[in-house]
Amino acid sequence: MSTTVARDRPGLTGTTGARPGAVGFLTDTTLCIGCKACEVACKQWNQLPMDELGFTGHSYDNTGDLGATTWRHVAFIERISDEEGRRPTSMRAFQSNWLMMSDVCKHCVYAGCMEACPTGAIIRTEFDTVVVQQDVCNGCGYCVPACPFGVIALDLGDGHARIGDGKAHKCTLCYDRLRDGLEPACAKACPTDSIQFGRVEDLMDRAQQRVATLREQGVAGAHIYGDRAVGGTGGIEGLNAFFILTAPPEVYNLPAQPELPQRKTIPASLATVAAGLVFGLAAVLSLRRR
Amino acid sequence: MTAYERRWETRRGGGRSAGDEARESYYGLPVIHRAPWRWEIPTYFFLGGIAGASYVVAAIADLVGGREERPIVRVGRYVSLATLIPSPLLLIRDLGRPERFHHMLRIFKVRSPMSVGTWGLTVFGAFVTLSALIQAAEDGLLDRFPPLARLLRGLPRRLIAALGAGPALFVSGYTGVLLAATAVPFWTKNYLLMGPLFVASALSNASAAISLILSLAGRGDHRALRKLERLHWITSAGEALLLAAVRRNSGPTIARPLNEGRLGQVYRRGVLGAGLGLPMLLGAPGAWLGRRLPRGVTALAALLTLIGGALLRYLIVTAGHRSADDPQATFELTRARDR
Amino acid sequence: MPGLGARLGRGGATTTQQSLADSDCIVIMGSNMAENHPVGFRFVLTAKTRGATVIHVDPRFSRTSALADLHVPLRAGSDLAVLGGLINYVLNSERWNSDPFFREYVTHYTNAPVIINPDFRGPEDLAGLFSGYVADERRYTTDTWQYADQQARPAAAEDQAQTAEPRPQYLGRLTAPPRLDPTLQDPHCVFQLVKRHYARYTPEMVERVSGIPRDRFVRLAETILANSGRDRTTAFCYAVAWTQHTTGTQIISACALLQLLLGNIGRPGGGILALRGHATIQGSTDIPTLYNLLPGYLPMPMATELERDRTLEEYLRRNRPLTGAWYNTPAYLISLLKAWYGDAATPENDFGYDFLPKISGDASFQAMIPMMKDGIMKGLFCMGMNPAVGGQNAVLAREGLANLDWLVVRDVYEIETAAFWYDAPEVRAGKVRPQDIKTEVFFLPAALAGEKEGSFTNTQRLVQWHDKSIDPPGDARSEAWFLYHLGRRLKELYRGDDTAKGRQIAALTWDYPTEGPLQEPVIEAIVREINGYTVADGRLVPDFSALRDDGSTACGCWIYSGIMPEEGRNRAKSRRGDERAALEWGYSWPRNVRILYNRASADPQGRPWSERKKWIWWDAAAGRWTGYDVPDLPETKPPDYQPPEGAVGLDAHPGDAPFVNMADGRGWLFAASGLRDGPLPTHYEPWETPVGNPLYPEQPRSPAAILLERPDNRYHALGDPRFPYVLTTYRLTEHHTAGGMSRFVPWLAELQPQGFAEISPELARELGIDNGDWVVISTLRGEIEARALVTERMQPLEVDGRRIHQVGIPWHFGYSGIATGGIANDLSALVEDPNSRIHEAKAFTCNLRKGRLRSGAGEERRE
Ligand SMILES: Nc1nc2c(c(=O)[nH]1)N[C@H]1C(S)=C(S)[C@@H](COP(=O)(O)OP(=O)(O)OC[C@H]3O[C@@H](n4cnc5c(=O)[nH]c(N)nc54)[C@H](O)[C@@H]3O)O[C@H]1N2
Ligand SMILES: Nc1nc2c(c(=O)[nH]1)N[C@H]1C(S)=C(S)[C@@H](COP(=O)(O)OP(=O)(O)OC[C@H]3O[C@@H](n4cnc5c(=O)[nH]c(N)nc54)[C@H](O)[C@@H]3O)O[C@H]1N2
Ligand code: SF4
Ligand code: SF4
Ligand code: SF4
Ligand code: SF4
Ligand code: SF4
Ligand SMILES: [Mo]
Repeated sequence: MSTTVARDRPGLTGTTGARPGAVGFLTDTTLCIGCKACEVACKQWNQLPMDELGFTGHSYDNTGDLGATTWRHVAFIERISDEEGRRPTSMRAFQSNWLMMSDVCKHCVYAGCMEACPTGAIIRTEFDTVVVQQDVCNGCGYCVPACPFGVIALDLGDGHARIGDGKAHKCTLCYDRLRDGLEPACAKACPTDSIQFGRVEDLMDRAQQRVATLREQGVAGAHIYGDRAVGGTGGIEGLNAFFILTAPPEVYNLPAQPELPQRKTIPASLATVAAGLVFGLAAVLSLRRR
Repeated sequence: MTAYERRWETRRGGGRSAGDEARESYYGLPVIHRAPWRWEIPTYFFLGGIAGASYVVAAIADLVGGREERPIVRVGRYVSLATLIPSPLLLIRDLGRPERFHHMLRIFKVRSPMSVGTWGLTVFGAFVTLSALIQAAEDGLLDRFPPLARLLRGLPRRLIAALGAGPALFVSGYTGVLLAATAVPFWTKNYLLMGPLFVASALSNASAAISLILSLAGRGDHRALRKLERLHWITSAGEALLLAAVRRNSGPTIARPLNEGRLGQVYRRGVLGAGLGLPMLLGAPGAWLGRRLPRGVTALAALLTLIGGALLRYLIVTAGHRSADDPQATFELTRARDR
Repeated sequence: MPGLGARLGRGGATTTQQSLADSDCIVIMGSNMAENHPVGFRFVLTAKTRGATVIHVDPRFSRTSALADLHVPLRAGSDLAVLGGLINYVLNSERWNSDPFFREYVTHYTNAPVIINPDFRGPEDLAGLFSGYVADERRYTTDTWQYADQQARPAAAEDQAQTAEPRPQYLGRLTAPPRLDPTLQDPHCVFQLVKRHYARYTPEMVERVSGIPRDRFVRLAETILANSGRDRTTAFCYAVAWTQHTTGTQIISACALLQLLLGNIGRPGGGILALRGHATIQGSTDIPTLYNLLPGYLPMPMATELERDRTLEEYLRRNRPLTGAWYNTPAYLISLLKAWYGDAATPENDFGYDFLPKISGDASFQAMIPMMKDGIMKGLFCMGMNPAVGGQNAVLAREGLANLDWLVVRDVYEIETAAFWYDAPEVRAGKVRPQDIKTEVFFLPAALAGEKEGSFTNTQRLVQWHDKSIDPPGDARSEAWFLYHLGRRLKELYRGDDTAKGRQIAALTWDYPTEGPLQEPVIEAIVREINGYTVADGRLVPDFSALRDDGSTACGCWIYSGIMPEEGRNRAKSRRGDERAALEWGYSWPRNVRILYNRASADPQGRPWSERKKWIWWDAAAGRWTGYDVPDLPETKPPDYQPPEGAVGLDAHPGDAPFVNMADGRGWLFAASGLRDGPLPTHYEPWETPVGNPLYPEQPRSPAAILLERPDNRYHALGDPRFPYVLTTYRLTEHHTAGGMSRFVPWLAELQPQGFAEISPELARELGIDNGDWVVISTLRGEIEARALVTERMQPLEVDGRRIHQVGIPWHFGYSGIATGGIANDLSALVEDPNSRIHEAKAFTCNLRKGRLRSGAGEERRE
């Protein structure tokens, strides 16, 4: 796969455009044991239904993906043996060879889903999180391809029968719990503090220290995913829910340098107008009285 | 078939492990989610495009054309209305919650092509209706309501046409912008080409639709028809060029849907061959050499263009879905550029 | 857990999970801690962030291995060879022999200097056996294993009997202080015996047996050594991958031996963490659901040929040592009898000793399975277990259930055990017809933890209270409700019945107050009884030191005494944590001690071994032990205390004796009693094994393992070519045990929706299997089908020149519920460890092929 190893970009690494006081997650994969407590806690708190059943053979991941009814998803990537099939014995200090990562909505500083939404259903809350108002969403589905991370999805049941509620869903960052002064359910359930909840500024500080420590301990690939250099790129300006990864983002099925899709709106519109003028002119020339 | 089942088919005769399956990408699973749209959306893209473009053609014909262009104006207005009417129905039908369609009009959001599009469509709808009513009044179809007919006939027809041409052009092209402003590799990679492609295709489809009706009805001055055929030819050529540019600009990975399998056939044989090449070939003598073609040939060329236009919408949307499903396409699109 | 009991005195984890955060090295061996004890694992990660090394010794690369610094794959069933290798390595290492700490710890705190009966002979001399083996009974007599120079022992019959049943608490009877050689040179001293016994466990031998390459083993040993000593501690964590072997107890006891040698017991960050199973499995042995124990590890009276506890006096003569904490056995037993029989327990009738049932044979669950099949057992209450899935040889277990007159299942879902008569694979395959099954099945809905109040005793002996959050739905009721009202109705039924049975039931006090519309018994009234009170005025006792043997006190479980030291103060409810021992969080038996044997955290003079590792120490000025924890010895006993002639009980222990439950106060490197299969842990192969035993070629398998071979429970011969692969079974984070608590829950079921078998790409290539293919796994007991999860996390090992493949199967799956799959235990056999009666589910042999079962038996309903 096309992968790249993080390199420091002075002045940019570790920066985020998060608004002051924003809250979010630091998901530190180096502490994750893949227990999926976060997945279950989320489903329980939000009373989400079970997904399609099936043994995938994708290591221990039988959830596959984030979706309308799965708002936390733990990925498992086995990188056990080397080319010759030899197994590792001594390993990197923190999580190696079997990578596990609990994925979630990034609560982007500039969120593609929210920009796209024509009904105003997706809002930025007082906690600077991105939430779909269920009483507004009409299921137009435009937010779905507008999310650069493949997070938000319509609940259409199996996609043919449309047995779902037809609306867009994703992590709310437990808006209801935040309102009551509670920590999000997934962070609460995480036994190893792989998921840490807090103010983005504080979390970013902590993440930078942690990455520095990890690199000292020989985890060379440790980096932050979700600052302006990786993940939170291209006008997204940072992710309020960001990650510490030890392998290139693609390994975890994350885009390395995604863009805010709406960055394309103006140039695309201009090009379209220009085309309209050109072809309009062609029409004028063709149809004019002779 | 879910994404998971796919792989049970590809046997290698033993020893393939879970680790092997995650070497190239995360088990081949998509990075982003494809748009949840069904057949309604490409159909709308097709019909809406024709609605907008035929309004444009009618308006231009009305504004710069003469008497012999009147049938074009007339048919263009009716085609515009006829193709517009199903559009909102298709859009509403596609919603997850159709009963909440009016939530689209809660807000106006410049940053959202869909929001702008909805408003554009609404405004355009007013113009189409008005222009079609005027046309109907002029055609004596509203004679049963004399005051209304009189009122309509008294309206500044050409001013309305001129004002409506803007929204009309918008409706024929915004859908390309709508696709461009997503994370779908095939669409967004070609963000500068999608809108122009849709505009070109809409105009070519609209001129084809009008000439189809005119030739089938045996109406219209043949010189006006030649003009229309020329427009048809030019816009088709533009469309073909833009399509080629799309394929080139996409690069091998993102263009994969255009090159592989059934969709590749649709692209090459359907859209490029039957939808663009063939009608252009058939229409060229009329458009450029001033020959008077048998009605059947004109009609065939127009019909092929329309089929090609529908296939193009299907192709663009489906290729987008495919590229969204292909992790390599997203990786290609979002590969770290500066590190 | 006799493995720990026999060497340290108590069958419980010696330390707390929190204390792992203080470790310098954590060896997780025999457990998949991250997956099965995820919350406890956070302390492993804390230690790691502080720089500790984490080692996982496991046949598979698991989620625990992913967070370890070192993964050491071994052949399932070879742990004892590895531990023996470590013992040998340590004893011959430069570091151990040069750092005075180790010698000081070992000479003072263990029985290394004790001289053993010179008649003792070990496997070195007897071709793999210890002296005293009675071949036709597959058991040992233990006279030759005793300390030298003890006075004539009680009657021979009784002496023999002493180890006929596991008696974890009966840890030797000393009639005189042991004879010592502090120089550790005497050829009959424990130290020399240990050294000699393990001499053949060389790194080369470890490699031949376990498949661990020499250099990796040396790295393991060196890491452990470097992280043990005055200033550093290493902890071991194990769970059922050590217990579920025919030598399970000995594996654990080998670990105790090693940790004693390394000076890691009783110290922060050290110790042995027995990671226990169900939420309160520790509680269920403390106040036992076991047939052979009374509350607080008092042995159940026996009525067998070999062992007779006909009277209280006889019982006490057999079960009361003169020295150590068990000297007070009479006070504990008589207080228990007073709690159970109240006024009916009088000095005249031996406090109702006769009312106690006496055991006449093996009534462990494993033994019950064939008894059901053979029609000896007619009825079964199945309350909170699922033997149709979890029982070994589950095919036989279901046959047993099908032959009962009646079966009561109290559970939260209609689990396999309740549904077997119409839904089992053999029924679906048409081999058994429901109408031919005579068992009358009663399914009674049970209330779950959140629907009732009560307590859990967790893996570290910590009792924690939980409140009731909501009423149970419908007819669901708590266990307490069921048992209390069942008892009440029985008393009703037997009123006026003058038979022995009737009198027994009548004598029972059964008067708990009830509350609420459901008439639930008041649980705190039970806690009150467990804590104990003085009979005359009903006042709560402060702890078990207040218990008396004259019938003036009553106590339901002496080790828990202190849990409610005064009215209204239920210490299980306290919830104040801190960074050290957190003494105000819950209540830990005994007497709220958190790290057991913590006297060993100080040197013989009572000073902390080091500043970094201080825990408790002697405060000379105050004349008492002080520190972070409750001292695990009489609080005012000075370090230099020497017992006077004829002292009994704890007074017979000197001031440097940390192991208060042992007769001599020392940790036993050599277990003179308490173990049925030898005083020194010895590697024997699993009962089913593809390879021989290079350590003891004449004695490849355990000479004392309990065999139940019969046509419906056949074993594979040693090295049987039809079953070439090693099979091991284990758990997944996503499911719980036999699945009643997880496979029916949509949110958990979807995470692991179907049974599977993990195999290496190497084996998959040999058999033409791809990831996701169906495979059939078979043994002489049964066959099942599963999806193959082909993964590099499994790997073949080179064992004694042969390539050995291992197959791993999560054993949670069954035919009921949402997530289903073939039952792993349809493959396993009934064969047991002689000490704990635990089955061998962690290492046996099997065959495996690509494909599906023909009959459809075992087939999932959902694909
Ligand atoms: N999520 C979850 N947690 C649980 C449970 C559950 O079902 N689900 N069950 C609870 C219960 S009842 C218990 S008893 C505990 C059990 O906890 P564990 O003992 O950790 O449980 P297992 O998964 O049975 O076995 C652990 C590991 O032993 C390895 N193994 C197999 N054979 C051998 C061997 O011969 N030597 C060594 N060294 N390792 C071997 C397996 O590969 C496996 O990784 O967990 C408790 N916690
Ligand atoms: N092959 C193989 N076999 C094994 C093992 C292995 O590692 N490998 N492990 C063994 C071990 S360590 C264990 S502990 C056993 C476990 O085996 P079992 O104890 O037979 O299995 P569980 O599923 O734990 O059964 C507990 C049942 O209690 C129900 N339950 C839960 N709460 C309550 C309650 O409050 N009241 C009542 N009445 N019921 C309740 C649950 O729904 C569940 O069905 O399996 C053993 N079997
Ligand atoms: S990750 Fe996707 S769904 Fe979440 S806020 Fe960003 S754009 Fe929206
Ligand atoms: S599906 Fe709902 S949330 Fe998404 S863009 Fe449409 S209205 Fe907004
Ligand atoms: S924050 Fe809440 S909604 Fe979001 S993943 Fe966590 S538990 Fe689910
Ligand atoms: S709960 Fe925490 S440790 Fe468990 S899978 Fe989620 S992030 Fe990882
Ligand atoms: S299930 Fe309960 S006992 Fe087991 S790890 Fe989780 S919290 Fe601890
Ligand atoms: Mo267990």
